[in-house]
Amino acid sequence: MHPTVENITQSINQVILGKHQQVRLALTCLLAGGHLLIEDLPGMGKTTLAHALAQVFGLAFSRVQFTSDLLPADVLGVSVYDRNTSSFQFHQGPIFSNILLADEVNRATPKTQSALLEAMEEYQVSVDGDTLPLPNPFFVIATQNPKHNIGTFPLPESQLDRFLMRISLGYPDPASERSLLKKQGGRALDQKPSTICSSESLLNLQSAVEKIHVSDAVLDYLQALIQHTRTELDTGLSPRASLGLRKCAQAWALCENRDYVIPEDIQAVFPSIATHRLEEDSNTNIAEKIIQNVAI
Amino acid sequence: MFEGTSDTMTQKTLSSHHLYWLLVSLGSALALHSIHLPIWITVTTAGLGIWRYFIDKKHWALPKLRWLILLTLLICIGLLFSYGSSFGRDASVSLLLIMSGMKLLETKTVRDYILIISIAYFIVASTYVFSQTASTFLLSLIPLTLLTATLVQTSLPQTLNSRLAFKLAGKMLLQSIPLMLVLFVLFPRLPGPIWGISKDAYSGMTGLDDVLELGDVGHLIRNSSVAFRVQFDENIPSANQLYWRGPVLWRQQQNQWLTTESNVPLSHESLMTTGIPIDYTITLEPHNRHWLLLLDMPTKLPDLATLRHDYTAVAKSPVRTRIRYQATSSGQYTLSSELSPQQRKIALAINRDNNLEAISLGQSWAQLPADVIINKALKKFNQEPFVYTLRPPRLSSNAIDDFLFKTQKGFCEHYASSFVFLMRAAGVPARIVTGYQGGEINPNGNYLIVRQSDAHAWAEVWLKNKGWVRIDPTAAVAPERIEQGIEEALTEMDELPIFVRQNATWLKKAYLNWDNINNTWNQWILGYDNKRQLAFLNKLSGEKLSLSDIAISMIVAMLVMMLVTAVLLLTKKQGKPSLVDRQYAQHIKQLSKIGVQPQIGEGSVDFAYRIGQLLPKQAKQAINIATLYNELKYGPLQNNSQMRQSKQLQLLKQMIQTFHRSKA
Amino acid sequence: MLEALQKLNHAFKQRLKALFRVAKSVNKVATLNARQIYILPSRWSLFYLLLLLALLIGAINYTLSLAYAATFLLAALANVAMLHTWRNLAYLEVSINHAKPVFAGDLAEVEVKVRDLKNRSRYAICANFQDERSTTQSINANTSEIFTLPLTTHHRGYLSMPRLRLHTEFPLSLFHAWAVVKTEEKILVYPKPSGDALVIPNGIDPDSKGNQSMLAGDEDFTGHKTYQLGDLPSKVDWKASSKGMGMFSKQYSGEASTSLYFDWAQTTGDTEARIAQLTRWVVDAQAAQLTYGLKLNGQIQFMPNNSNNHYHACLKALATR
Repeated sequence: MHPTVENITQSINQVILGKHQQVRLALTCLLAGGHLLIEDLPGMGKTTLAHALAQVFGLAFSRVQFTSDLLPADVLGVSVYDRNTSSFQFHQGPIFSNILLADEVNRATPKTQSALLEAMEEYQVSVDGDTLPLPNPFFVIATQNPKHNIGTFPLPESQLDRFLMRISLGYPDPASERSLLKKQGGRALDQKPSTICSSESLLNLQSAVEKIHVSDAVLDYLQALIQHTRTELDTGLSPRASLGLRKCAQAWALCENRDYVIPEDIQAVFPSIATHRLEEDSNTNIAEKIIQNVAI
Repeated sequence: MFEGTSDTMTQKTLSSHHLYWLLVSLGSALALHSIHLPIWITVTTAGLGIWRYFIDKKHWALPKLRWLILLTLLICIGLLFSYGSSFGRDASVSLLLIMSGMKLLETKTVRDYILIISIAYFIVASTYVFSQTASTFLLSLIPLTLLTATLVQTSLPQTLNSRLAFKLAGKMLLQSIPLMLVLFVLFPRLPGPIWGISKDAYSGMTGLDDVLELGDVGHLIRNSSVAFRVQFDENIPSANQLYWRGPVLWRQQQNQWLTTESNVPLSHESLMTTGIPIDYTITLEPHNRHWLLLLDMPTKLPDLATLRHDYTAVAKSPVRTRIRYQATSSGQYTLSSELSPQQRKIALAINRDNNLEAISLGQSWAQLPADVIINKALKKFNQEPFVYTLRPPRLSSNAIDDFLFKTQKGFCEHYASSFVFLMRAAGVPARIVTGYQGGEINPNGNYLIVRQSDAHAWAEVWLKNKGWVRIDPTAAVAPERIEQGIEEALTEMDELPIFVRQNATWLKKAYLNWDNINNTWNQWILGYDNKRQLAFLNKLSGEKLSLSDIAISMIVAMLVMMLVTAVLLLTKKQGKPSLVDRQYAQHIKQLSKIGVQPQIGEGSVDFAYRIGQLLPKQAKQAINIATLYNELKYGPLQNNSQMRQSKQLQLLKQMIQTFHRSKA
Repeated sequence: MLEALQKLNHAFKQRLKALFRVAKSVNKVATLNARQIYILPSRWSLFYLLLLLALLIGAINYTLSLAYAATFLLAALANVAMLHTWRNLAYLEVSINHAKPVFAGDLAEVEVKVRDLKNRSRYAICANFQDERSTTQSINANTSEIFTLPLTTHHRGYLSMPRLRLHTEFPLSLFHAWAVVKTEEKILVYPKPSGDALVIPNGIDPDSKGNQSMLAGDEDFTGHKTYQLGDLPSKVDWKASSKGMGMFSKQYSGEASTSLYFDWAQTTGDTEARIAQLTRWVVDAQAAQLTYGLKLNGQIQFMPNNSNNHYHACLKALATR
């Protein structure tokens, strides 16, 4: 495994117990420069993971708890009239940070959601006719409860597509849970992983991802997968998704400390990229099925 | 099991694209025939095709039945005008073409398409009735491939990429060649024909007639097609010896010269030869006449020939296929040392109503000895301003007088006929011999090509003790004609076929090469008849084969060839996997023997882990193999030099081998 | 006499069918092996044979070597075409992908997945169920294609899929190759709704309100639950809130949901007629977006609901009863 990446994962794994795969996927997503959606039932450690990710990179971090009365201005910032200068002064909202943790994003009204998602896509914010760039790097880690919980506004597909990956944590295995229970204090959030990575080294890793070699043979396979979703399912994957798939596979290969992508890399990241876009809510295995049906 | 299903296929209507394919391939078949059929047939058929195109393009309605009937009637009348009552080869092909064009007008379903395509196949093959040259064959491959490609398109509901259809059709035709060759060599040839063939089937053949009317040989001289080819067992005799004997003309009727009447029995002329016998083999092109051309004078005849009394060799039936025959001749001979009174009478008969001037000239010589008379006549040709030309002026009914005393321009037949006329007037028995003179040596194949343009007419006079002696009056005027061929004899550039003109040397060279190919083609492909087949197969097997032997060997060879094609076609893996893939495929093949196979979508590393679970001892080996395979297959190429790649490939090979060795 | 002959013909065909090897699906996937492909000349190959004969006769009669060559080339072409046709069908993998349930008498659309196993593009592959219309598609090398095949249904319940026939005449239509696939797959057929437009009954309680506008009502207060963001303000128990007891939302349940039941006992006629009536009600109720339950055999089979899953579960219960 890539030495830096290994340090980071180890550090996070001390906080999130027994979720090695998910931690790596989340890391891959950030290395690929995409936004991450973590979806699970309450109390599964979503916020903890997001928190730990932000912490470990030592980046400017802010957190917004999304509620139904949250307004776009609460996220983006507001212009306040300043008496001294007799002009409006823009006060930056929490979005102006490197990592924004949008907790329970599906609780906010669509209006607020779209304000956030527009910023995610364009890496800039438009307020009162001014366009303000967001810092670099900029990630959104959003968490959400599964849709069927009461009082939520599920994200429409167009906005789901903005998230490069969606992962869900699932219940911990008994051993991990036991060690969690044995811990002093109990609250995981109290434990903070140490900061390992600077923002420069993150940017370095990101540019290293770009350089990972993707052979034609791998692209053939990638296209076959995408094509399969388009022919076999009602709605297939978008070109944005296929670009993201390539990027994530490259990031995954980097995590493996390999300078070229192999089909297994694609297979590893494919479910996280495909499932939320294919809107087969009842059938989470759909991505696995596709992998089992497309020859390498 | 398959009822009701092909209906859905054949009832289906096809798209415009299919129609265009059909029109183009039919058009190419039509083009093959356009050379030898009346122009209106080609135009009408093409018009029908264009009409069909517009029906499709502009969404016109297909024509009603009554219009079709009317059109058919009109076309039948046209055919009747063109061909009269003799409904033969040309008329049938025309009818077939027109009918396929008519069929187009009611073509909608796959069934119609398929019917038209099979008719079109037949139309393409019918070109061979007109011409069987190598170039015709090559040309006919174009519509053949197009038709097959169209057929491929018709079997698809939507049209295939044109290039793919072409490629597939071409590939299939190529794959058919081995079996075709087996059948071609071994299918027992029957001596045809099965039924009578209408006369017009041979209208295209040219050759010497048994009538000579002044101007006749001239039309042959303008024809550069090959009359026959000769292969000499030893050296080719000099050009002035090469007189190929054809019909002998005795009787004069107005301006015509004719052979002797068959109801007048004439005794066979005797022949004594003294020279060295010359053995040769002739491949005679079909000319639809009985003559078998032989070198003067034949001593040993081919089996199929009989001799007429005047030493003209004839076949039993007109020569309608290319035939080969061997013969022996001798250049020094005495023919008919005695002349019967009857023969003498015919050989002296002239029409005394016309050409009075010539008669009086002849009669003025009558008292002289025969050889002096001959010399006098030849001197006349030689010393007076006679010109050898292929464009003689028109002659009146006093043709010989006109020629001898007025125009003095003409070619071999003028000289020969007026010479014989003068001889007869002077009382020397004489006759005209037609045939060919000379020929062109093809150095590429060391054989002689004799063309229609080498057609010639000369004279024979009967002299006491010497018999019939050949006198060529043309030689007196234009000796080059005899020594070097016709193109030398012409003073001005007459309208000669291009290949006969010698200034086009490179063209001539190319032509000689081409003729060599054609000769081989004729000998082996076109001349492959029942005799040749038997001879060839006997030589091949070293035994004397019967027809049933050939049939049995054909069936056996056919089955073997079908099997071979099947094995090659059905086991051949499409696409060339890279060397890496081939190595890895070997690995998988070996593993499948112990019942492990990668599943669909299972990557090599995952598979290696699975192998590791089954063969724990070799888990590491398996993973190493997978890793190396991945690196070679998916790794960046620019980092690896060619050398290193092949080394790694070698390493992979070794690793796979060790893996399977230690497994056992 | 004729009938007897037809019978005999039919028996013969059945016998013939039994003789033929059939590709059986294992784990829902059937592979067309070499041994399961049958091939016979197609009808138009008769034309072609006539053409060959005519050419051969012509060649013999006119002693045309090239006509011989053309005849033999076309004959060999037929042989090659046969191999190509065979090859076009062999080594395909067939699996039933998906079959949406349908009402009896409707055409079911069965999705059949056909996959190439030999790295060869396949062209004009036709597939059909016995006595049904066929669908034609081409399949690219190493990929699969979905054939949507119609299948007539007659009776409710599970319908075993009849034999599936794959056939092709590509490339020259000279030969017809086919293979028969037998799958264990079954397709669910819902009962045919009764033809009469029946008034939807109000439920078992004759006193309950049958007014449709009230069906979706929110009459009955069932209890409190803690307030959650996004709950309707009108439902918040402000009284309790003002007393400082915290935020609660009031919960109601629609009255109709407890009352609209379709009962076996409400129907008349024989079993099939009753099922048809019940089906009609279920279908109509779903179309009107009502909440309904189903009672069979005097006991509640399904609690009232109006989700899609509920609808299909009700129909399935009716289909298999």
